[in-house]
Amino acid sequence: MNPKYRVATIVHGAVLACVWAAGATGVAAATGAATTTAKTAAPTVTPSGAPTAPAATAGAAAPSAAPAPDALSADTKTLDQEVQGLKKDVIDLNKDLFVLEEELLFPANTQVALYVSMDVGTFFALDSVTVKIDNKEVKNYLYTTREADALLKGGVQQIYLGNLKVGKHEMVAFFTGKGPHTRDYKRGATISFDKGVGAKYLELKITDRVPKHQPEFSIKDWD
Amino acid sequence: MRRVLLASLALGAVLVISSLVDSSRAAAPTLVGKDAPDFALKSMDGTNLRLSEFRGQVVLVNFWARWAGDSRQEMPALDRINTTYSRAGLVVLGVSIDEDLRRAREFADAMKVSYPILLDTGSDIGRDYMLQKMPMTILVDRGGVVRYSKYGFKRGDERAYLDQIRELLRE
Repeated sequence: MNPKYRVATIVHGAVLACVWAAGATGVAAATGAATTTAKTAAPTVTPSGAPTAPAATAGAAAPSAAPAPDALSADTKTLDQEVQGLKKDVIDLNKDLFVLEEELLFPANTQVALYVSMDVGTFFALDSVTVKIDNKEVKNYLYTTREADALLKGGVQQIYLGNLKVGKHEMVAFFTGKGPHTRDYKRGATISFDKGVGAKYLELKITDRVPKHQPEFSIKDWD
Repeated sequence: MRRVLLASLALGAVLVISSLVDSSRAAAPTLVGKDAPDFALKSMDGTNLRLSEFRGQVVLVNFWARWAGDSRQEMPALDRINTTYSRAGLVVLGVSIDEDLRRAREFADAMKVSYPILLDTGSDIGRDYMLQKMPMTILVDRGGVVRYSKYGFKRGDERAYLDQIRELLRE
C-alpha cells in the first residue's frame, strides 16, 4: 500500500474516532476544546440562510423593560400559587393512579389479602413467615425486632395481596422463630378455603396456649 | 519523520480507544439518584436487619464475596470508617452474596469487622442492585436515595468514600 495513502487513512480514522469520542462522552479535553472553539467561531445562520451578528440588541433593550418591585412581588405570588396548585394536582393525580392501579392489579372479585397478627407472644419470638398458596410460595417475610414488637403491641400487618380464581384453594403458612426456652421453632398452619366472587381476607394468628406453655398458630377466614 | 508521525497517530488512537472504554464503564447502569431497593436479611449474629429501618441515617452498603479479591482490602478500610463515623450517624452494612454460608462466615470472621454482616443467598437483591462486579459499595442518604455507587476497590478509594460520607452527614 502507498505510505501516503496509509497515513491519510490513519489520520482520517483517528479524527473520526476523536470526533465520535467527543460527541459520546463530552469529556475528551483536547479534542473537545478544539471542537468547541470551532463551533463557537462559526457565525449564526438565520432560517433564511443569511448569517447574523451576535445578539447585542437584547442586552440593550433589557434595562427599559425592568418591572416595578410591586409588580414583581405580585408575579411571584401568582407563580407561587400556580406552583402550589400544580403540586395539589400532582398529589390528586397520584392518588387516582394508585386507586386505579390497585383496582387493575387486584380486582375485588379475585382479590385475596393475607394479614398477620400476634397476641402476647410469651412463648414465641417471630423470625419469619413463609406462605404457600396451592403449593406455590407467594411470600417469604423476615421480621426485624421492631416489626415483631409492633405486632406484639397490637399491630396487624398485610403480608400479602394477590389474586385467586374462584374455587377451592389451600394455603399453608410456616412460622419460624424462637419457641419456649429460646429453642428454634418451626410450625405450620393450613387452611382450605373456597374462594367465591368477592374479596377474600385471611388472618394468620399467633397466640399463646398458656396451659401447655406453647404458642399456637391458626388461620382465620374473615368471610 | 513518517515513522514518528505514524507512531504518534497510533498512540493517539490507543488513547482515544482507552478513553472510550473508560466512558463505557462509567455509563454502566447504576441506582444513583433512585430510591434504594429495600431488603431484609439475617445478620451473622442472628438478628434480622431491614435497610428501610435506617432511614434518617447515612448508610454505606458493601456487597462483597469471598472470591472477590478486592473485598479483602476493602473490608478493613470500611471497618476503620465505621469506627470513626458511626457516632456521627453513619451505618455500615456488609452484605455477603456468597452461596456457601459457612465459608462466607469464616471469611467474615477472619476479617474481624465490627459492622454487621448480612447473609444473602437469594438472587433478588443482586438483581435489584444491578450487581455486575464485586465488591460493590453504595451510599444511601438520610432520605433513602442512592447517592454514590462504585464497583471494585483499590487502595486510596476510601478517601472518595470519606468525601461522600462527610458531605452526606452534613445534609
